[in-house]
Amino acid sequence: MERFKFILFRPLQLLPVLFGVSVISFVMVRSIPGDPVRLLLGTRATPEVAAKIRAQYGLDEPLMTQYLLFLKNLFQGDFGRSIVYKTSTFNVVAERIGPTVFLLAYVLVMAILITLILSTWAARRQGRLPDVIVRSYSMVGLGLPTFWLGIILIMQFSIALNWFPTSGYGESVAENLYYLFLPAVSITLALSPVLIRNLRASLISEMESDYATAARSRGMSENGIYFSHVLPNSLVPAITLLGINFAWLIGGTVVVEQVFSVPGIGQLMISSIFARDYLVVQLITLVVAIAVIAVNFIVDVLTAVIDPRVHL
Amino acid sequence: MTIRRVITASLVAATAFLSVLSYTTVANAGGVLKIAREQDSTTFDPIFTILAPDIWVLNQFYSKLVRDNADATDVIPDLAESWQVSPDGKTYTFNLRSAVFSDGTPVKSSDVVFSLKRVRDAEQSIMAGLYTVMTDVHAPDDETVVITLSSAAPSFMSTLAMFASAIVPEHAVEAAGEDFGQNPIGSGPFILKEWKRGNKVVLEKNSNYWEEGLPKLDGIEWIYAPNDNTRMLKLTAGEVDAATFVPWNQIRQLQDNPKTQVQIDKSTRMDHILINHNNAPLDNKAVRQALNMAIDQDAIVEKVTFGFGVKANSFFPLDGMYYNKNNPNYSYDPEKAKAILADEGVTNLELDFVIVSGDSAHEQTAVLVKAQCAKAGITVNIVKMEGGQQWDALVAGEYDLGMMWWVNDVSDPDQKAQFVVSGDEENRSYYTNYKNPEVTKLVNEAALELDPDKRKQMYYKIQSIAKDDVHWIDLYYSPFRNASLTSVTGFIQNPLGRYMLTTADKQ
Repeated sequence: MERFKFILFRPLQLLPVLFGVSVISFVMVRSIPGDPVRLLLGTRATPEVAAKIRAQYGLDEPLMTQYLLFLKNLFQGDFGRSIVYKTSTFNVVAERIGPTVFLLAYVLVMAILITLILSTWAARRQGRLPDVIVRSYSMVGLGLPTFWLGIILIMQFSIALNWFPTSGYGESVAENLYYLFLPAVSITLALSPVLIRNLRASLISEMESDYATAARSRGMSENGIYFSHVLPNSLVPAITLLGINFAWLIGGTVVVEQVFSVPGIGQLMISSIFARDYLVVQLITLVVAIAVIAVNFIVDVLTAVIDPRVHL
Repeated sequence: MTIRRVITASLVAATAFLSVLSYTTVANAGGVLKIAREQDSTTFDPIFTILAPDIWVLNQFYSKLVRDNADATDVIPDLAESWQVSPDGKTYTFNLRSAVFSDGTPVKSSDVVFSLKRVRDAEQSIMAGLYTVMTDVHAPDDETVVITLSSAAPSFMSTLAMFASAIVPEHAVEAAGEDFGQNPIGSGPFILKEWKRGNKVVLEKNSNYWEEGLPKLDGIEWIYAPNDNTRMLKLTAGEVDAATFVPWNQIRQLQDNPKTQVQIDKSTRMDHILINHNNAPLDNKAVRQALNMAIDQDAIVEKVTFGFGVKANSFFPLDGMYYNKNNPNYSYDPEKAKAILADEGVTNLELDFVIVSGDSAHEQTAVLVKAQCAKAGITVNIVKMEGGQQWDALVAGEYDLGMMWWVNDVSDPDQKAQFVVSGDEENRSYYTNYKNPEVTKLVNEAALELDPDKRKQMYYKIQSIAKDDVHWIDLYYSPFRNASLTSVTGFIQNPLGRYMLTTADKQ
């Protein structure tokens, strides 16, 4: 019962958070010095034209009025028009979400696979060569800047070996798996070390726990103990950590999309900030906030499903 | 045991995926030129934009009455087969050729009238100011357009050759409204096939194009690749046929690569340093001259542009209309600069130099300027700003020196002279606050002078006075540089920055 209540009411908590996010993004993007109209027109348009454009986008109104108008339109499902693209902000952002979601999903699958495999390999051979290799990997991986890694991967696998395209986005799922392979690898290499270190440590401590010893004494095989007891019990902190890192992960895609020219919302975010396309920046911020909250919600539910002791 | 099954299944999936990878290759269609560029398009409506990445593409969609020739020194026929100008220079009569828009409807003189009135009158037409000289545009018959000007304007033909003068079909614009820029229709060599923002713009040959045998290409793909390194790597990997805006330090490398070539085209771009004449002692001409002498243009050309730039001696573009190649220039002389400053009683001159962070050529220039000025006893503080922030600082006059650049929209020099030295209230000579009544008068007179020789003398004089006054500091003329595979021919950019893709080809 309590569980259902949680699932029903937790999304309501979204509202105050989203309100806060909308205020902060509104204020922050407008407090960056720089005038969107001037950036759009350069020096060569007359002040009359600039004034007309400013009026059309409501930029000549006081900030408070602008914000209230933004909120009012938001409730009517209208996200406003992009001053740069001269079309609905919703369209501009919506057509860029696909590549980012694809990239994120790709990274998650890769990171989870690598984490499971390497942590298991290391934990079950604690202190031996595999463990040393995995631990060194997590140390090195943590220290590599994603953008640098991206360029190195391009140089090696696209230019020297010609295995993958240097950048861009494909037309079909199969093509995208191919185009986004290097971008996904560069984020995974940065994300997985944290997850591996954490999971390896949990696995080791669970393996040495009393219930594992008890199971061994009952003659259960090491594989049996590992897969039916140790691993499930170690997954809870790993999943929580993944949820917490989701916000970081989105930050990572912003950088990687830039390096690999992936037409996702990260790249749009950067170009929109430079152009002071306020409404686009605000909408992306909202979308990202909703995504982060949703993922953490899913993580909470998953945790409860895996570990019945967890109360929501 | 479910987790074990999951792991097994994942491994199988991963293996399957890797085998898919080895069979996928990048398809290379024949006759389609793929160009990687550093900026993305925003709209293809010719009157609502002034951004280079929009203009590069939309020029392929539309014809105009007239167009610039390849070196932008004259205008040549486009939709207008021929034209007559009345002796007083106020009435222009254009005779249209027969052509059709890409939707199959014929180009009528009423469409021309509609397009030119639209660019002059539409609420948000960015370049409207250049067209207010037209008092009347009308079509006596379907093949003739007559334009009447309020006064003779020698720059008018170059205005008609500008992107904003593109001829659009009245019916399509009326039907689409503000969304016309998303679904452009014109009578140019190519049509828009697909546009994925942030990714690519796909163009297809317009089979109805009026010019016999052109365009040579079947299509063009403009691919967005903002990162300089990525863009050049895409070219060397053969994923694209061409790449725009080659960084200075990669030109030689691409020239040496047997697979690639670098096209270096003369441009109207020049890079310069703005001076805020309102801030003492920069209001003193002698101090500005000393500052100019303290800067070593040759060293900047050599170090920043690797010798590919050309030292600028005038604010007029290199070899453009009425450019004076013999315009006097200051020679680098830090000792003399020091002496002048001492004579003027200026000690401990300290200047804030605002530049855009991330623009590596400008950052390098600023570092050189700082070191050079130090030799003349001038302290330069480099202030790095984000692009929009720098612009705000320039407009607000919160700077001493500012790094900037300029590319002409039109081949005629009037527009630039008005903006850069006339000192009008709006632009205050590109925010430098430079005002010399003699120059203002000359600029206004030259705008109306119909005799090319007299006009030339006026512009020569303007160039020389502006140089003497040091309205800003000329640094270097910067050629356009595009790289392509050696199989690509005719991939050139005219001095105004337009890509001449109608005649480009791919073997």
